[in-house]
Amino acid sequence: MTDIVAIIVSGLVYGSIYGLVAIGMTLIYGTLRILDMSQGSMVVIGGYVGWWALTENGFNPIVALVLAFAAAFVVGTGSELISVQPLLKRRHEVDFEMVTFITTFAVGIMITNISLQHFGPEQRDVPSIIGGNLEIYHGVSITYHEIAMAVTSVILMAALGLFLARTRWGFAIRAVAQDLTAARSLGVPVNRLYPMTMGLASALAGVGGVFLGALYFASPTAGDLPLLQALIVVVLGGLGSLTGTLYAAYLVGLMQAFCEVKIGTTWTLPILYTAILIILIIRPYGLKGSPTEARL
Amino acid sequence: VTGALGQLTIGRWMAIIIACALAAVFPLVYTDPYYMTIIVTAEVILILNISWNFVLGMAGVWNFGQLAIYALGAYGAGWLMLHETWIPTMVAIALGGVFAAVISVLLAFPTLRLFGIYTSLLTFSFAQVVQYVALNNPKNLTGGSYGFPTVPGVFSTASQESYLRAYYWLFAVVIVVACFFVAWLQQSHLGIALRSVRDAPGYTAARGVNPRSVRVVAFGLSGFLAGVAGGFYLAFEQSFTTSQMGLTPMSIYVTMLVIGGLGTVFGPLIGTAIVTVIQTILIDYPGWQLTILGATLLVIVIFVPGGIVGLISRINSRLTSWVAEGNRQSG
Repeated sequence: MTDIVAIIVSGLVYGSIYGLVAIGMTLIYGTLRILDMSQGSMVVIGGYVGWWALTENGFNPIVALVLAFAAAFVVGTGSELISVQPLLKRRHEVDFEMVTFITTFAVGIMITNISLQHFGPEQRDVPSIIGGNLEIYHGVSITYHEIAMAVTSVILMAALGLFLARTRWGFAIRAVAQDLTAARSLGVPVNRLYPMTMGLASALAGVGGVFLGALYFASPTAGDLPLLQALIVVVLGGLGSLTGTLYAAYLVGLMQAFCEVKIGTTWTLPILYTAILIILIIRPYGLKGSPTEARL
Repeated sequence: VTGALGQLTIGRWMAIIIACALAAVFPLVYTDPYYMTIIVTAEVILILNISWNFVLGMAGVWNFGQLAIYALGAYGAGWLMLHETWIPTMVAIALGGVFAAVISVLLAFPTLRLFGIYTSLLTFSFAQVVQYVALNNPKNLTGGSYGFPTVPGVFSTASQESYLRAYYWLFAVVIVVACFFVAWLQQSHLGIALRSVRDAPGYTAARGVNPRSVRVVAFGLSGFLAGVAGGFYLAFEQSFTTSQMGLTPMSIYVTMLVIGGLGTVFGPLIGTAIVTVIQTILIDYPGWQLTILGATLLVIVIFVPGGIVGLISRINSRLTSWVAEGNRQSG
């Protein structure tokens, strides 16, 4: 029983943070048909902003989260402007998905190595957002930091859902996801929408970076693992399906928690990847994905 | 005869032969061990890149699992070198290649069910699984993060100078053979089938070519060469660590292929040479090294699609038509 509670609790916590990082990738893929490989480095940026704001300057955690959101938004927008915007005019001449996969990957390499050059390879401590922990069930406890992480992730994901469903910009993003040409002919400013969508997705990953920085550390390679896990989540959920991503995030979170409690940490990723291999063989478009175009 | 072999005029044959001869006498003249080690390592990576370019560029399957195949070739060959010492080392390396080819074919079946970006994600996942399993060192097979236990390699008794020279020649021969094989393959039935499956899958299938079987053959050939490259790496470095199949080497090799020109015979050659030179110049600034490589990759993909080989052939054809125009006007 203790094990089951522990698995469920940490599964939900992991699931929330995976959802936060992965939902940005899904949003970008669903609207822009770009698998953004620079999302991992947005986690790095969030981690460094958290370190700078909390450890170096002792700001309020909420200020740190807002700063991380803003910084990752700016970098994400810039990343779109250099890695995707020049290709937009030629999107039918090139294999757009593959080429942007490579260019965003290149941006990720650059951000990782610029931060390596600037901050050095050592790991920086990021303090918890809130200290202390809460005992839930005999011996099973959860830190307030993890609760804050899960709650913030859920709030942000809900906010994203409302943004897409209710606001003008949200309508525009969904219109682009459904039919780029039609959206453009109806006056949607596609050239401004692309950077904004990518900035928004990056900002979510940046907020995730502050929380993850406190769980692990802030370092130039801190984004690699979240990127790999977000890839698992988005593939499992079906690229471009927001609800599928949510299911997959919690499923992967629970699977990881189960592996860690029952089997051991070293085998977690191989088991997750094997699960992905099997699911992709049975369902080539993920759990909720479909071969059709727009899915947001 | 079409493709790269068909374009070989007598002048180009002469150029290739002269280049090979120059490459062959090079280590007799130049003996600096530091740079020779870099060059020989680059040769191994070039063999790997030729194999990867074959499946990535020519077959057009976005396979990001090639480094795992390469590593499996190294581990397979290494296991034979350590435990079945009666097998000659070169045979062990070839058997490692066969092992890698088998794994590659097995990987091909689920991979070819998928399309586009899912292909790269699946193969990437495969590479991650292999890396994590190797890192966890099951039954002491891989040496984990400490690297594979030391193996004798091929020329272990030679002095350092002749050791480097021998490996240099061995790898150079393999590279030349592989280049000619790929060039020949390009204009063979298989190569034509591969390219048409890449460019027009529906039409090709309608004309009676089975897209899956030609691609499985491509995976097998490419996997064999990658596995042999892994065995060579192990034999030359006398060790193999899991960091060899990490994200960083992968991004460097992808950069090499894209800069040189995906799907061309000479692309890997040029790309590997350029990137190795950049890396060697910036060896003291590891942060800048990859930043500059990333920027180069970005610029090439956006502004020079087709890489350097594509650029050269475009300039070449423009020059030819310009000369032809001049001839028409004067005549």
